[in-house]
Amino acid sequence: MPEPRVTIFADPDAAARALQRLQESGVTDARLVSSAPFPAVHLTGRPGPWPVLGKVVLGGAVTGAVCAALLQALTSRSLGLVVGGKPILAWPAFGVIIFELTLLFAGVTNFLAMALLAAAARRRVPTAARAAVGSERIVVVVPGERLEGPEAAAVLRALEEGRP
Amino acid sequence: VDAREHTRIERDMLGTMSRTSWRYWLGLGLAVSLVVVGGVAWSLALRQGLGVFGLNEPVMWGALITTFVFFIGVSHSGTLVSAILFFARSPLRAAIGRSAEAMTVITILTAGLYPIIHIGRSWLFYFVLAYPNQRQLWPNFRSPLTWDVFAITSYVTVSALFLYMGMLPDLAMLARRVTGWRRPLYRALSLGFSGTDSEWALLERAYPIFAGVVIPLAVSVHSVVSWDFAMSVMPGWHSSIFAPYFVAGAIFSGIAMAILLLAGLRRGYRLERYIRPEHFAMLSKLLLAASLVMTFTYATEFFMAFFRGSEAEADVFRWRPTGAYAWVFWLVIVCNSLAPLACFWGAVRRSLPALVTISVLVSVGMWFERFLFIVTTLAHHYLPQNWGFYRPTVPEVLICLGGFGWFFTLFLLFIKVFPSISVAETMEREHAAAHAGELEPGHA
Repeated sequence: MPEPRVTIFADPDAAARALQRLQESGVTDARLVSSAPFPAVHLTGRPGPWPVLGKVVLGGAVTGAVCAALLQALTSRSLGLVVGGKPILAWPAFGVIIFELTLLFAGVTNFLAMALLAAAARRRVPTAARAAVGSERIVVVVPGERLEGPEAAAVLRALEEGRP
Repeated sequence: VDAREHTRIERDMLGTMSRTSWRYWLGLGLAVSLVVVGGVAWSLALRQGLGVFGLNEPVMWGALITTFVFFIGVSHSGTLVSAILFFARSPLRAAIGRSAEAMTVITILTAGLYPIIHIGRSWLFYFVLAYPNQRQLWPNFRSPLTWDVFAITSYVTVSALFLYMGMLPDLAMLARRVTGWRRPLYRALSLGFSGTDSEWALLERAYPIFAGVVIPLAVSVHSVVSWDFAMSVMPGWHSSIFAPYFVAGAIFSGIAMAILLLAGLRRGYRLERYIRPEHFAMLSKLLLAASLVMTFTYATEFFMAFFRGSEAEADVFRWRPTGAYAWVFWLVIVCNSLAPLACFWGAVRRSLPALVTISVLVSVGMWFERFLFIVTTLAHHYLPQNWGFYRPTVPEVLICLGGFGWFFTLFLLFIKVFPSISVAETMEREHAAAHAGELEPGHA
C-alpha cells in the first residue's frame, strides 16, 4: 500500500480550501493536523465517536455520588454519634459532600477519558504528519489508498489547488 | 493572517517565558522575601504555640481565617469568569482566561495554608481527612468545616485540571519549540497532544463539559465557605443571604485581582496587542456590577438585622458602624461601595492607572470586609460579659503578608514556566477576527 500523502500548508485557509477540494473529489477521510483550532479542523470527515464522552462523564458523576453517599453513611454508622440533634444518617447534611464529589468525579473522569481517547485517536495519523505541524505549518494527510486508482490525479490536483 | 502572523503570536506569547526583566526579578525577590518573613513567623507559632497570636476568648478566629476567606473569594472568580466567557463564546477569553484560571489554582493553594496554620499543630491537619485509622474515628460529615475540606479539595482539583486541559495545545507547541531537558518535560506534560483533527474535536467536546462542571462547583464552594459561618446561630452570621453574599464578594474580589495581574502582565511583557483596553473596560463593568450587588447585600443585612427583631443581631449591626471597629466598617464602605462607582465614567474605565487604583482599594476593602464580619460577631455576640476585642499580633500580620508573597511567587513562577495567554486560542481568535473584518492583520 502506498504511503499516506502529507502536505504542508502555511495558511489555514489554504488547508481548508484543499480539504474542500478533496471532499469534492470524493476523499472524505483526509486528516488535518494543526497547532490551533482553525475552522479547517472541522472540515475533515467524522473525527470520532466522541458522544461517548458525555456518557462516560455521567458514569463518573454517578460513581462520585454513590461513593460520597456510601462514605458518609457507612462511616457515620461505624461511629454512631448524634451531633447537634441530627440523626446518624443525616441525609440533608450529607447532600453537600455528595454534590461536591459528584462534580469532582465528573471532572476527573472527563479529563481521563479525554486523555485516553485522544491517545487512541492520534495513532490513526502518521507520526511524520504529527511531527511536521507548527505554528506556520498546517498538515493535511491523505490516506495512501486514495493515491491509487483513477481518482489519484484529482486528489493531487486538489492538494495543489489549495496552495495560495 | 499568514504564517508570519502565527509565528509572531507564538513568539509574543512565549516571550513571557523567555524574557526576564529586572522588574520581574524585583517582584520575585519581594514576593520571596515576604514568604521567608511569613515562614519565620509561622515557625515561631510552631515553636511557641498559638499564644503568639492575638486569638483568645471570645475571638478565636482572626486574621488567619480572614485571609483564608479572602483568598478563597479571590480564587472563585478566575475559573468562573473563564468558564462563563467560554460559554458566551467571548473573544475576551483568549486574553484573560489563562491568567484567571492560574490565579484560581494559586489562590486556593494559598488559602489552604491558613486553616492549617490556624489549627496550631499543623502537622495533624490530616485529621480532617476521611481515612481508616486505628481509633476508628471519622470526620463529622454534618459539620460545615468538613464540607469545606471536600469542597475546596474538589475545587482545586477540578480547577487545576480545567487549567491543564486548556494548556495542552500550548504545551505541545512548547515541546516543539524548546530544546534540551525542557523538551521531554513539556512533551510529557502535553500528554502527547499533537493537534490532529480528532484531538481538537475531542477537546472541543470535553472542554464545555468541564466548564459546565466548574461553574456549579465554583458557586457551591463559596456557598459552603459561607456556611462555616451561617450554619452557626451567631448574630451577624446566621443568615440565609450569606451564600449569595459570599459568591458575589468572591466575584468582586477576584475581578479586582484579575485586573491587577493582567495590568502587570500587560505592562511587564509589552502585551498591549493582546491585553487591550476593551478587556479592562469589560472587567471594570463587571467590577462595578459586583460592587452594586455587594452594596445591596450590605443594605439587606442591615435591614434584616433590624426587621427580624433579634436584639443580639440588631446590636451587632449597630456596633459595626459605631463601635471599636467602626473604622474598618467605613473603610469597607469607601473601598467596596464608593470607590468602584467611579467606573460609571467611561474615562475611568479606559484609564488603566485608575482601574489599578480602584482594584487595589477593592482588594484592601474585601480583606477588611472579611475581617469585619468575622471579628465583630465573635467580639460582640450574645453575652455582654463575654464581649471582647481582637487585634492581630505581629506574627499574624507577617503570616498574612507571607501569604500574599506566596501567591505572587507562585504566579510569577507560573508565567515563567507556562504561557500566561493561550497561544492556540489567540491564533484562532486572530484568524476569526481577520475573516470577520474586525481587525487589521497584525492586531490580535
